[in-house]
Amino acid sequence: MMKNRSYKYLILALLIGVFSSCNDYLELDPKNKVPVEAVLSDPNGIKGYLANLYYELPMEDFVYFPRAGYNARGNTGSLSLSQYGLEAIHSEWPNWNEFNNQWWTRGYQLNRDINLLEESVAKVSFSAAERTAIEGEIAFLRAYTYYALVKIYGGVPIITENQEYTTDWASLRVPRNTEKETWDFVLAQLDIAFEKLPASRQSADETKRRATKWAAAGLKSRVALHAASVAKYWNRAPLSGEAVTAGLVGLPASEANRYYQAAIEASEAVMGSGQFGLYMPNPANPQDAARNYQNLFMDPNVALTEVLFMRGYGHAGGPLAHDYDGWNNPNQTGEGFPHVGRTNPVLELVDQYENYGNPGVASPIITTTDGQVREGEFNPSTNYIRFSSPEEIFQGKDARFFASIIHPGAEWKGTEIVIQGGIIRPDGSVLNAKGTVVHQGVTYHTYGAATSNQYSGFEGTPNMTRSGFLLKKFLDERAKIKTWLQSTTDYIDIRYAEVLLNYAEAVVESGLGSTERATQALNDIRKRAGHTVAIPLNLTNVLRERSVELAFENKEYWDLIRRRTYHQIFNNYVKTALVPMLDLRGAQPAYIYVRKDVPGARPNTFPERDYYRSIPGVNNNGLIQNPQH
Amino acid sequence: MKSIKTFSIALVSLFLLGGCELNELDNYDGPDASISGAIYDQETGELVQQDIINGMQIEYIEHGFDNPQTQFMVVKNDGTYRNNLMFSGTYTIRPVRGNFVPVNSEEVVVSGATTKNFNVQPYIRVRNVQINKKGNKIVATFNLDQTVTNKVVRIGLFAHREPNVGQPLNSVSSLVNLNEVTNDVTQYRLEINLDAYTSALKAGNEYYFRVGALIDAPEAKYNYAPPVRIGI
Repeated sequence: MMKNRSYKYLILALLIGVFSSCNDYLELDPKNKVPVEAVLSDPNGIKGYLANLYYELPMEDFVYFPRAGYNARGNTGSLSLSQYGLEAIHSEWPNWNEFNNQWWTRGYQLNRDINLLEESVAKVSFSAAERTAIEGEIAFLRAYTYYALVKIYGGVPIITENQEYTTDWASLRVPRNTEKETWDFVLAQLDIAFEKLPASRQSADETKRRATKWAAAGLKSRVALHAASVAKYWNRAPLSGEAVTAGLVGLPASEANRYYQAAIEASEAVMGSGQFGLYMPNPANPQDAARNYQNLFMDPNVALTEVLFMRGYGHAGGPLAHDYDGWNNPNQTGEGFPHVGRTNPVLELVDQYENYGNPGVASPIITTTDGQVREGEFNPSTNYIRFSSPEEIFQGKDARFFASIIHPGAEWKGTEIVIQGGIIRPDGSVLNAKGTVVHQGVTYHTYGAATSNQYSGFEGTPNMTRSGFLLKKFLDERAKIKTWLQSTTDYIDIRYAEVLLNYAEAVVESGLGSTERATQALNDIRKRAGHTVAIPLNLTNVLRERSVELAFENKEYWDLIRRRTYHQIFNNYVKTALVPMLDLRGAQPAYIYVRKDVPGARPNTFPERDYYRSIPGVNNNGLIQNPQH
Repeated sequence: MKSIKTFSIALVSLFLLGGCELNELDNYDGPDASISGAIYDQETGELVQQDIINGMQIEYIEHGFDNPQTQFMVVKNDGTYRNNLMFSGTYTIRPVRGNFVPVNSEEVVVSGATTKNFNVQPYIRVRNVQINKKGNKIVATFNLDQTVTNKVVRIGLFAHREPNVGQPLNSVSSLVNLNEVTNDVTQYRLEINLDAYTSALKAGNEYYFRVGALIDAPEAKYNYAPPVRIGI
């Protein structure tokens, strides 16, 4: 009883404490934190501070997921950007269509950190060269930050000076700049960065991972192309409302060529620098090309000539590693990671890859003897092409297909990856639930093998592909991934091939620049992929090349956004799978392929308002909201 | 003992209330009014068919606030709408992003059960609609009567098991890109071959079919004829 009563007195005392807590005797300087002045008054402190700003950059790499945000580790579900467009679908959540890549609060936190840095740098003594370089770095970081904001929200408030806290709320509220002003601001910052940044730094590691003149030029080529596309294609999905009237979202078509010109100039600066080239530009044969292309992403450090800007990972088991291998290995080589096989490439992407026998056009997977692209459930009266092995159907495809995607029958880590969606019984009926068919004394299993650790597809569980394909690009074939945070593969954020493709697109869209150089750029990339026949420069060729060369590099989502084709494609749209089936109807068992809607996927529609995200907190910050949000 | 307990509870409540100003309760009234109505063709007086999903919206802004947020209502497929949870007051209201020539906003005083209809000029009237099953095909024939000089982008026949069928909600659609200015005498014909969609449209079931046409105007939505139910 005594104990109970003292407990009550304790609560009473606490409550009195709460009641009278508006005193300032708790306002002590924390002993476990370093005050900002201590860090930012010292050149080495500023270097450390800068390193964190690079970490915070909105880079869409291995640890970016639209829902979980940047630098997201742990159980993100691996809901990656490539699953939103026509590159892939998620094995567990095939109907994930939440457009929620918010970055408002974190974006302005980073902006504030950059402003604080700028304020402090002015007070610290540096040599003139050091000061210029840091000013260039600040412009680069700022441009990177505002590029992420403008592509998500349209025009945003441009705040380049640190705001002091005050209770005069009105003075803290900064109205939005127009979308045009914001793009122009990003480009102007990149011009400052290009001017002030060094062309290289002390070591190759530092040169590639820290902003340089060429990183700024590469980013400018990307940014200007984005702005130009919005201007040119705004009318494909025009919006209306206050934000549009005020110019906060939208660009006039008359601005398009100015931005295309900026993209062309920035790309030409990189192309003419003599500092960069494609990694292994002249492969001996397609097999060679596939190996080179795989290595470029498996270990970018062997291919630094192609790298303009990259992010390093390291310290397996710690917070600077990632889980890309864990999430995406096939079920058969899961090696104990709890969630595998998540990113499933879809047939729309696979169809885009050319065939060496028919250069210059997309080469869709043909499954029926009439040579037409046929889609739909298995139909006993359709004449399917019969293949003796599962990989035969992919013969002659572009090397990058084999280097980016694991297909049925592919060899990966010394294991043949088994992906099979069912069996056609000798009487023409289908078995597509787990089971067996005994035919002429042989037992056949629905999914290609007896136990689930011997196959990688179509069982319906999240570790199995539901599209017929699995991801290969970026995965480390040499690694064994048994638990979390074991991947340390570096990520190339800006690479030379993207600059070439930006150039080709800007030239073909605007008619500015050099058609000859753009054609050369397009064909250089194809040559590196083992192609020997040059193709002409046109929009179809450039866009197809872009989608296969940059697949899974988180570019396609923004291509759909900036070119305003998202709502045209995703209009009651279901992505397509390629389902291999073992056909027991003939004298010999054979593989046939069925092109059909991804099992479990439902029609998906992109609402036009989602070309821009909603701005959070408009009731408090007084900003004009984006249309229809 | 019991009195101590009661006393401490009372004391705790008192402190809590005093601490967080919880004595200022939410004492506002709930929604006390409703608004309903429909979108009518100003010439024919017919309801203008809409889409409930990703269709037109009615924008409304309540007066009397410094920084009011724009709110939205959706309109049902038949062109009617209703919101039973409105607060009495004055509103600026406007139907937007529809399949009709944009209209100006109006002020509406909402109190009790308010009715507010909108008379609009639909971009296109879909007329003389015949949708029938002929053999193993669903065949739709219709005329288009466009009220503006823009081009008609495309026409479509949409099928779904729900009566809310339309461009945003269909399991099968047959689309034709026109990109031309139409006249009201040309008869348009769209078909769905049931043999090609045996899994989406199963024999023995009933489905709704609806034809529509899309004008080339910013943010325009399809104009439709009412859906027709057909057993296949």
